[in-house]
Amino acid sequence: MGRFKVSNIEREMEVYGYDSVVKSHCRMCHGGCGVLVYTKNGKAVKIAGDPDCPINHGTLCSKGLASLQLAYHPDRLKYPVRRVGAKGSNRWERISWDEALDTIGGKINAYKAEFGAESIAMGYGTGRENESVIYRFANLLGTPNVLTAGHFCYGPRLATSIITCGSNPIVDYENHPKCIMVWGNNVVISNPDEYKGESFSVSLDRGAKLIVVDPRMTRMASRADVWLQLRPGTDTALALGMANVIVEEGLYDKEFIANHVHGWEPFVARVKQYSTDRVAEITGVPAGKIREAARLYATTKPAGIQWGVAIEQQINCADNDRALMTLMGITGNIDVPGGQVLFKTPNIRKVSSFGAHKRLSPEQAAKRLGGERFRLADKFSILNPKCVWDAINTEKPYPVKMIFMISSNPVLSRANGEEVRRALSKLDFFTVCDFFITPTAEYADIVLPSATWLEMDYIGDYWKRHGYILPRRKVIQVGECLPDHEILNALAKKVGQEEDWWDTFEGGLDYILEPMGITFQDFKKMDYIRGEVAYRKYLDKGFSTPTGKFELYSTLLEKWGYDPLPQFKEPPESPVSTPERAGRYPYTLITGRRIPGFFHTENRQLPWMRELHRDPVVEIHPETAAKEGISEGQWVVVESPRGKIRQRAKLFSGLAPDVVSAEHGWWFPEEQGPGYGWNKSNVNVLIDNSFENCDPAMGATHIRSLLCKIYPETENE
Amino acid sequence: MKPYELVIDHEACWGCRTCEVACKQEFSTAPGVQLLYVTELSGPDESGREQFSFRVNVCRHCDDPPCVDSCPESAISQRDDGIVVLDEEACSGCRSCIDSCPYGAIAFDEQDGVARKCNLCHKRVDNGLVPACADNVCLAHCIYFGDRESVENQRNSRVGRK
Repeated sequence: MGRFKVSNIEREMEVYGYDSVVKSHCRMCHGGCGVLVYTKNGKAVKIAGDPDCPINHGTLCSKGLASLQLAYHPDRLKYPVRRVGAKGSNRWERISWDEALDTIGGKINAYKAEFGAESIAMGYGTGRENESVIYRFANLLGTPNVLTAGHFCYGPRLATSIITCGSNPIVDYENHPKCIMVWGNNVVISNPDEYKGESFSVSLDRGAKLIVVDPRMTRMASRADVWLQLRPGTDTALALGMANVIVEEGLYDKEFIANHVHGWEPFVARVKQYSTDRVAEITGVPAGKIREAARLYATTKPAGIQWGVAIEQQINCADNDRALMTLMGITGNIDVPGGQVLFKTPNIRKVSSFGAHKRLSPEQAAKRLGGERFRLADKFSILNPKCVWDAINTEKPYPVKMIFMISSNPVLSRANGEEVRRALSKLDFFTVCDFFITPTAEYADIVLPSATWLEMDYIGDYWKRHGYILPRRKVIQVGECLPDHEILNALAKKVGQEEDWWDTFEGGLDYILEPMGITFQDFKKMDYIRGEVAYRKYLDKGFSTPTGKFELYSTLLEKWGYDPLPQFKEPPESPVSTPERAGRYPYTLITGRRIPGFFHTENRQLPWMRELHRDPVVEIHPETAAKEGISEGQWVVVESPRGKIRQRAKLFSGLAPDVVSAEHGWWFPEEQGPGYGWNKSNVNVLIDNSFENCDPAMGATHIRSLLCKIYPETENE
Repeated sequence: MKPYELVIDHEACWGCRTCEVACKQEFSTAPGVQLLYVTELSGPDESGREQFSFRVNVCRHCDDPPCVDSCPESAISQRDDGIVVLDEEACSGCRSCIDSCPYGAIAFDEQDGVARKCNLCHKRVDNGLVPACADNVCLAHCIYFGDRESVENQRNSRVGRK
């Protein structure tokens, strides 16, 4: 580049006359990328990636660059408010922090005394690195009910990997896998945990072979050596079909299997049920392609499977995760350089220890809603959200009287939004911490103003499994906003938890770092800390499972009354399981494809993000569009047996003609309250949240495939 | 030879659109005014295989730029180093340049009544900084900036694919 150098911080400072640059850690998704925040006159004025960060190497995504539009948004909630009108009326009055916390603390104490701590549910949406702080508060309070997305997002990967091999196996992009199999994950657009799209992209550019499993053509699928366009919801069958090829053709790692796996023989017997012909029939993927992908994956080493949330938001959630792990295991790609590594976290206080799970008494833990039904989730302190809505609406098995919820918008982000609204309407007392008044916050009694990542000190990626922690450094203060962990730290003192918390949460950060012999002030001087890197740790220590082996056959699932081996279940609503319904609703709707700029229900207020993507879009094959009289850009109605919504049609030949793909998370902040158009385009209105539509072990709601019809919107619609 | 070029590797582009937002951050252009934008391409290729890819569209800083000749106000000029600069102060808003551009790379700002285009961040470049869209922003590293040799070197060091 001659005299030019990218990420030239020094020159940037000189040319623009910035006052300072602060290294921090973005959290516009789950967090993960190192960031530079340039400031001038006390304001943050420019965001850039941190070139020294080992996760993103200076790159960022559109959301990260738009962080200042979030932080300084005119509609931000900047002080605590109390609702003055009816629920959902969107009328508020300002109150002080003292009054807000006294009121909330008083309610918690009163409900606990009268109905037991279990009548209070704590909650968060996608994890914002506060998970262990919220669990700490809940466990010390004595409530087993923490309402999260963990039943169908990341929680399943943690739960199933811990029971299978002790930890979540992360693709080791630093050592460049030779083959990457991307399974239902648009890693370059979505918000992947651990390593980001940049690392994947670099490995691919260096020549890695690429296999993509996706019902929809992504750019990755277009670039892939093999693209398996499966029928939605049939992932487990496809994975077991590939395992069958690997077993039949002897492509497995014989040494690893002889010494380090548990349950090889029953596993072989199970995969024999998944012949390529049968799997081709189930999945719609030609047998030859299944064999080609299986051979490529099994013989190109090291190889990694880049997985994500799509396979978890299905009735086969736990089995999807487990089936993919068996592929990693039998090919010997576990814990090897460039394969999938069980990375070690730095020697800090563990998330589970900070979360104080052992402080929850067995009697209270036994009261977790739905715990007896979804027993894998229960073991990981996770619950299915319908269990909470039901407890509010029916008061069985006991009433939930109060929810304290952080950065979550379940009216939009959980199946059956109408039922969520009914429950929130009936709820006795509801507190929400968020950046804006959302369609969910409209039902709150008190809304507290959450700080963005720019307004907090924290230990970034504290809960991740790639072995790094990175300092998040406070750059600005907006209004009276407080970080969620500071809110909990203050609230804890109102409910008798003084001894277990700190003057400010910096004490908590020091407590987390204490085992390393450093304080947060020391950590702030560092770029990051990485845990000790070691491979094939199982050679010395075995795997952290009951058998000490990689459990193809899960002894824990067996003990909890589940099939110890992965098996395929047909999705509850599909042309195969409900053919009669498919006569009336002829298309399979897939949901939740990732869009640059948005994170689930977030960022619809940010001008740059809405400029990238103005309206909700439903993709439909051109042949199908012609058949239904639908043209490009037209508003159309997508209808399921449970409801209907409107999105704009986009003709796209990267889908099978009988598959339609709708976006999720849509509401319209620009419409102002009440309601903000929460049900106009919200795909979760269409989705069944009954327990029959959930994974029996993990409680994951099957939201990724259902039946629909689609037709042009008429004027009187 | 031009002292520097902007080279986009479309094979590598994932359509993350971070470049669009980096441009917005640099210039704070009004909503709808895009000096650079990403488009999608889909459909079967010659062999019948379905394809899906992205194209980053931005001013090419042509060797013989038609927009320069088209402007009645002489508001567009080509510098000695090849950068084609539109002086918004001198623009009368006649849109001739927009009609003349074969790449659809010039935008119109309704609010201010002027045309706007990518000036290759000439103020950054003159100060030794890389244009905003190419400054290590996108996760694909697919926008390169520099002289031809350095772009080749950068790309070769990164790309091992055939």
